[in-house]
Amino acid sequence: MAPQQPEKRFFEVGRRPHEITLKPDGGDAWRRGRVPLTKRHWLAWRGISNPKSLRRERRLLDKRPLWWTIGLGGLLVVTPFLSDQAINIAAIFCIFSAINVIWTLIIGTAGIFSLATMAVVGMAGYAAAAANVYLGVPWPLMMPVGALVGLVLGGFLALPSTRLDGLYYALLTLGVAEICRVFVSQIKLLAPTNGSINQVGSFIPADWLLQRPGLLLGFFAAFALLLAALLVFRLINSERLGLLLQAAREDEAFSEANGIDYRRARLWVFILSSAALGAIGAFYVMFYRSISLAVFSLDQLLLLFAMIVIGGLGRSEGAVLGTAIVVLIDKGMLDLGPLRIILVTAVMIVVALTSHHGLTGVRMQFRNFRNRKKSESRAARTEKGGEVMPEEATEITDKQQVYYRLFDKRIRDQLKTQVTPELIAEHRAKPLGQHSDALDRVLNYFRRGEMPDKYAILRVGPYAASTYKVLAFSGRPGHPPRVVDDKLYATMDEAYHAVFLLRVNDLLAS
Amino acid sequence: MDAGLIVYALYLAAIYGLMAIGISLLWSSVGMVNMAHGATFAIAGYAAYFAAIWGQPLARDLLGTTGWDIPALAVFIGLVALLAGALFGIVIYLVAFLPIHDKENFAVRSLIITLALNLATVQMLLWAFGPQQKALPRVFGTGRFTALGMSIRIDQVVTIVATTLLLGSVLAWLRRSRKGLEIRAVMQNAEGAALCGISTRKTALPIMMLTGALAGLAAVLLSQNVFVSPTAGVTPLIKGLTIALLGGLGSVPGAVAGAVLIGFIEAATGAIPFLGQRYVLFVQFTFIVCVLLIRPRGLGGLLDETRE
Repeated sequence: MAPQQPEKRFFEVGRRPHEITLKPDGGDAWRRGRVPLTKRHWLAWRGISNPKSLRRERRLLDKRPLWWTIGLGGLLVVTPFLSDQAINIAAIFCIFSAINVIWTLIIGTAGIFSLATMAVVGMAGYAAAAANVYLGVPWPLMMPVGALVGLVLGGFLALPSTRLDGLYYALLTLGVAEICRVFVSQIKLLAPTNGSINQVGSFIPADWLLQRPGLLLGFFAAFALLLAALLVFRLINSERLGLLLQAAREDEAFSEANGIDYRRARLWVFILSSAALGAIGAFYVMFYRSISLAVFSLDQLLLLFAMIVIGGLGRSEGAVLGTAIVVLIDKGMLDLGPLRIILVTAVMIVVALTSHHGLTGVRMQFRNFRNRKKSESRAARTEKGGEVMPEEATEITDKQQVYYRLFDKRIRDQLKTQVTPELIAEHRAKPLGQHSDALDRVLNYFRRGEMPDKYAILRVGPYAASTYKVLAFSGRPGHPPRVVDDKLYATMDEAYHAVFLLRVNDLLAS
Repeated sequence: MDAGLIVYALYLAAIYGLMAIGISLLWSSVGMVNMAHGATFAIAGYAAYFAAIWGQPLARDLLGTTGWDIPALAVFIGLVALLAGALFGIVIYLVAFLPIHDKENFAVRSLIITLALNLATVQMLLWAFGPQQKALPRVFGTGRFTALGMSIRIDQVVTIVATTLLLGSVLAWLRRSRKGLEIRAVMQNAEGAALCGISTRKTALPIMMLTGALAGLAAVLLSQNVFVSPTAGVTPLIKGLTIALLGGLGSVPGAVAGAVLIGFIEAATGAIPFLGQRYVLFVQFTFIVCVLLIRPRGLGGLLDETRE
């Protein structure tokens, strides 16, 4: 029986010792929960084998779900204990986040610069409100009505998106927003109330209005709306439709050549996201119990745009983060007055000047920056000369080679300092025999040189009156040595010294 | 359609054309959409207003007897507005172009920065001068004259003539001068121009100043009809942007054609009793939507694929 070994201790080495890893028992079966009805896992655990400890480890590849849970969970837990005003701000944040997350689908995933978001929200809101107030549709049906209106509008908006792109489409959608505003403002029925519809039915009971329970109910509903919007984002962005759209965003012609019908994909994303925006519009009306023409205003649209660009275009976390910042400044600091807008613009300018892809891109940008600085400083401190450069090292399987070449380089550097005229004179005087320590070291290094280009001495002529020539081995079997030069040396010692000089020359030149 | 309407349409076309050509030039040469053009407009309007307050008594004292005081004041105000526009152009250059023009994602980032500059300037003007509207003195003449049996407003004619002259000289400068050659080279291919020793930075500065000055002039000209106010720049910005896009970004003839078309539509919509001023934007956008559906790159725009 083997003696009891004390357990080995491992020190934290490597690039990321702080990374959360689980150290499961090797015999354990790997149980990962799956999202119901899909093959996807809840969290992206990856199994890795730690090359130092030779043990299995599990590492969380994508930690964003944890951040989402902490952020949204924190909001959900903390908000009920806040003041009435703060609860209202949190609810507004949820609604705007939902709008922005859906907008990100169009502007980020599909890469279409659509500015008709608020137009869709507003039209659907007006339709839902009108259905409730004038047609007597009960409030639970308002969201389906809004979604339906959004669906139809989205279908119309999608048609030109296949032909136009970039700023031209932005202009077109801006025009659509203006047309919607004028259209609504000209409806005779709304004229006495200056274009607004009030007294809309809502999921918040009328006697709870502006009371704490009403505000809390509004917040929880808005939170659920945000979760639903995130789900829609996830279902479209990371599944088939989103991948098709992202491919088309990068290169339309290439994706078409690969069989991607990107026009159809864009039509779909417009229809789906517009339906979602329509539902949000109906929610918006129910939340405020009224809707006015301010929905269509350019200022509102620009504020929304500020939200998504501060967070970073094209990511759901960017949309939510940017919304949080702008809503906090715009609604949370009401005492500042018009200074709020200047503050928002200052944030916009600072973010756009410093970060390439908004706040959520900062992490990646910092990593790139750090890697660039690292390789710059590495390039500054490494001298080449046989030593393996880091880029090369990854290509060499036998890492022993890397260290051998490093060692060899150091020896050569050291020997170079020892080659002096006195040393050469000493060798000329006595090529063989006992030498000084420095000459011995130099000669020993030469002796264990590699076979290719190793020098040899060839005797030329008859034995009694022979002269000598220097050759160099090819180092390949079957390939003859080559003659280094035409010089003939009278004695063996002269030839020895000539070879010595050649090698010293090689050493100093390396 | 009477002659007054035609002149009014041309007058609007002249002012919008100044804005649109500025936006279009900047886009095609530097590659940024200048959303701060409206801010330049408002700033230049205020500069002209203060120049008028300061210059009006001075001009009356010095030249009042000769009868040249009003034209001198007009020239003075125009120059001040041009200068203010050019200076604000430098500000935009320093904030939105210089730090990031060779960095990643420049087009979107510069758009964001200029948009923020626009919003911030409007708010600061509101803060400094309040929301009251200020009226410029009518320096381009008042009253009407009759030509070919039609009654025409003098200030509108002066505006049209001044704009045509200025735009003509700008285009001639672009075509004749050394700097214009450099600017056109950058417009065609910024990278190729850089390889030939034409600095993008050094070329962008005069373009920014030029487009800013054009916006400044537009501010003075339009302020004869519309008051100077912090938010005065928003409508010209949107008009200029839509016209620049309608004409095809980067195409000066397209921008001119777009400006004339939009000017006529605006004048006609305002004049038709059935529609009226409230429907101006509505009709314009409907028109633009129709044009874009037929010609996706605007009137004078080329397809990007063919350009590549």
